[in-house]
Amino acid sequence: MSAILECRKLTKSFGSKTAISEVDLKVERGQIVGLLGPNGSGKSTLIKMVNQLLTPTSGNVFIGDKKPGIETKKIVSYLPEKNYLNDWMRVHEIIELFSDFYDNFQPKKAYDMLKKLNINAHDKLKTMSKGTKEKVQLILVMSREAELYLLDEPIGGVDPAARDYILETILGNYRENATIVISTHLISDIEKLLDYVVFIHQGQIVLTSSVDAIRDEKGKSIDALFREVFKC
Amino acid sequence: MPWELNSDRPIYIQLVEQIALMIFSGVYPLGSKLPSVRDMAKEAAVNPNTMQKALVKLEEDGLIITHRTSGRSITEDAHMLEVAKNRLAQEQISEFLGKMQKLGFDPKEILRVIQNMVKEMKK
Amino acid sequence: MLRKLFKYEFKATGRVFLPLFASLLAFAFISRILSVFDFQQTFPVFISHTIYIIIMAGMFVMTLTVMIQRFNKNLLSDEGYLMFTLPTNPWQHIVSKLLVSMLWITASVIAAVFTILIITYKAGAISETIRGLSLLISRLSEYWSVSASFTIFEVIIAIFSTLTSGILLIYASIAVGHLFSKHKILASFGAFIILNTLAHVLVNLISLVIKVVPLANIHISSYNFANNLPAIQMALAFGIIIAGLKSAAYFAITNFILSKRLNLE
Repeated sequence: MSAILECRKLTKSFGSKTAISEVDLKVERGQIVGLLGPNGSGKSTLIKMVNQLLTPTSGNVFIGDKKPGIETKKIVSYLPEKNYLNDWMRVHEIIELFSDFYDNFQPKKAYDMLKKLNINAHDKLKTMSKGTKEKVQLILVMSREAELYLLDEPIGGVDPAARDYILETILGNYRENATIVISTHLISDIEKLLDYVVFIHQGQIVLTSSVDAIRDEKGKSIDALFREVFKC
Repeated sequence: MPWELNSDRPIYIQLVEQIALMIFSGVYPLGSKLPSVRDMAKEAAVNPNTMQKALVKLEEDGLIITHRTSGRSITEDAHMLEVAKNRLAQEQISEFLGKMQKLGFDPKEILRVIQNMVKEMKK
Repeated sequence: MLRKLFKYEFKATGRVFLPLFASLLAFAFISRILSVFDFQQTFPVFISHTIYIIIMAGMFVMTLTVMIQRFNKNLLSDEGYLMFTLPTNPWQHIVSKLLVSMLWITASVIAAVFTILIITYKAGAISETIRGLSLLISRLSEYWSVSASFTIFEVIIAIFSTLTSGILLIYASIAVGHLFSKHKILASFGAFIILNTLAHVLVNLISLVIKVVPLANIHISSYNFANNLPAIQMALAFGIIIAGLKSAAYFAITNFILSKRLNLE
C-alpha cells in the first residue's frame, strides 16, 4: 500500500519569509507520528497545506497517492490549532453537520464521549468555556473513522487533567490501520504514544526515525534528544 | 498493577518485562485469557502498536499463546514458565553482578554481602 | 453536497431573516390595527410606522451585510478551516451562498410589498390590482406582436441575472482582497472598484463593436413605448447576456482564488 502522506519538495513562503522549505517526507500507514518542533518551526503550515487550507508555493503533497481534494478530505480528519466552530450552533447540530458531510462519522461515538464529559448536546457553543470547546472539537474529529488524523497542537495550553483526557481520547479511538500525526512542542507528554517522530526546525525536516530506534541506539528519551537537537 | 514506563528505553521492552512479572506473580494465572491488545494498551496508556509488539515478543518467548479465533492466553506449560522465570532471574543477577564488580567487589565478597542481607531480612 | 451546503447556509442565515420578517409583519399589522382604531394619524400610529420603516431598512441592510459576512467570515476566517475541509468543491460553496443570498433578497422584497399591502389595504384593493394588471398585460399584448408575458419574463430574468452578477462581483472582490496579506478589506474595496470599472469599459467596447445597444435612443414615454418594443426586447436580451458574461467572469475569479490561491492564516 502507498504511503498515507507524502511531501515532495514542498515549499511555502509568506512574502519574503520561508515557512517550509523543500520538505521531503513520507509517512507510512498504521502508526502514531509526532511532528515535533519548537514554536514557529512550520508544523501548522505543513499540516494546513495537507488540508488545502494553504496553497504551496512549490512542490506537492500526496495523501495516499492523491493530491488534496474531495477524495482526500473524505479520509483526513483534521483538528486545527484554533477553534473553527461557529458559536451559534448547538452541539447536536454540529454533530448533524458532521454526519451529513462525512460518511465515516460515527454520531454514537460522539454522543457517548460527550456524555462521559457531561456535556449537554443541546448547549450552544457560545456558552461553553474555551477548554470545553476544544474537547468538543477533538470529540468531533476523533469520532470519524478516518485513515489519516492530523492533530495540530491538541495538548497546547491545557491543564494536565485535560491533557490526560485528550491523550486518552486519541488512543481510545485509534484503529491500528489508521495513521495519526500529532504536532506539538510538548514532547514528554506524548512520547509514550509515538511510533515515529519527525523533527522540524525552521521549515526543514532535521530528523525522522522510529522511536524505538532512538531509545535503542541512543539510549535517550525523545524529549532528551529534542532538547539536544534544538538547543538554543 | 500500575504501569511504570520510562521514556529512555524502548517502551515495548518495558512492557514485556512488566507483563512477564504479572504472569510470574500470578496476576495473570496460567492458562488464563489476556485482555485485548486495545484494552491493554489503553490501560497502560501506550500506543496499541507498541503493546502488540510486546505481546509478539512474549509469544516468541513462549509465555503467551495466540489462538486463531479467541485471542491470546497465558501458556499452560508450567515448565515453560519456569524456564522464562529463570532466564529473567539470570538477567537480573548478571546485571547486579556487573554493577557490584564496578564497585570493586569480588565474587566471594558479593556472596558474603548477600548472605548477611538474607540473614538480616529473616530477623 | 450542494443540497447539504444549501441547507446549512439557509439555517445559518434564516436565524437572522426569519425573525426580521416576523417583526416586519407584526409591525405592519400593529400599524394597520392602530390606524383603524384612531382615524387621526396620532402618536402611536406614528411610532409604529417609524419602527416598521426602521425594520424594513434594517432588513435590506441585513441582506447586504449577511451576504458579505457569510462569505468573508464563514469561508475566509477561522470557520473556513471547517468549510474547506468538508469534502466539497469550492464552487459548491460559492453557489450555495449565492443562491441563499438571492433567496433572502427576493424574500425581503416580497415581505416589503406584502407588508405595504397590509398597511394600505382597502376593501377590494387586491382584486382591483389584479384586474388592472391583467388588463395591462392584455392591452400590451394587443399592441405588440409578441406576447407581453415574454417581455415580462425577460424583465424578470434580467433582474435576476443583474442581481447574480452584483453578488458575484462582491464575492470576487472579497476573494481578491484575500490574496493580500495585509489590508485585506481595503484591497477588497479596491478590487470592487477596479472590477466594476473594468466591466464597464469592456461592456462599452462590446457595444461599440456590435452596435446593438440602442438603449440611449429609447425614451420611455407612454407615446412611443409600444413602438419601441423590439428595441426594448433587444436591450433586455443584451443586458441579460452582459450580466451572464460578468457573472461567469466573477465566478471564475472567485472559484480560482478559493481553489488555487487559498491561504487561511
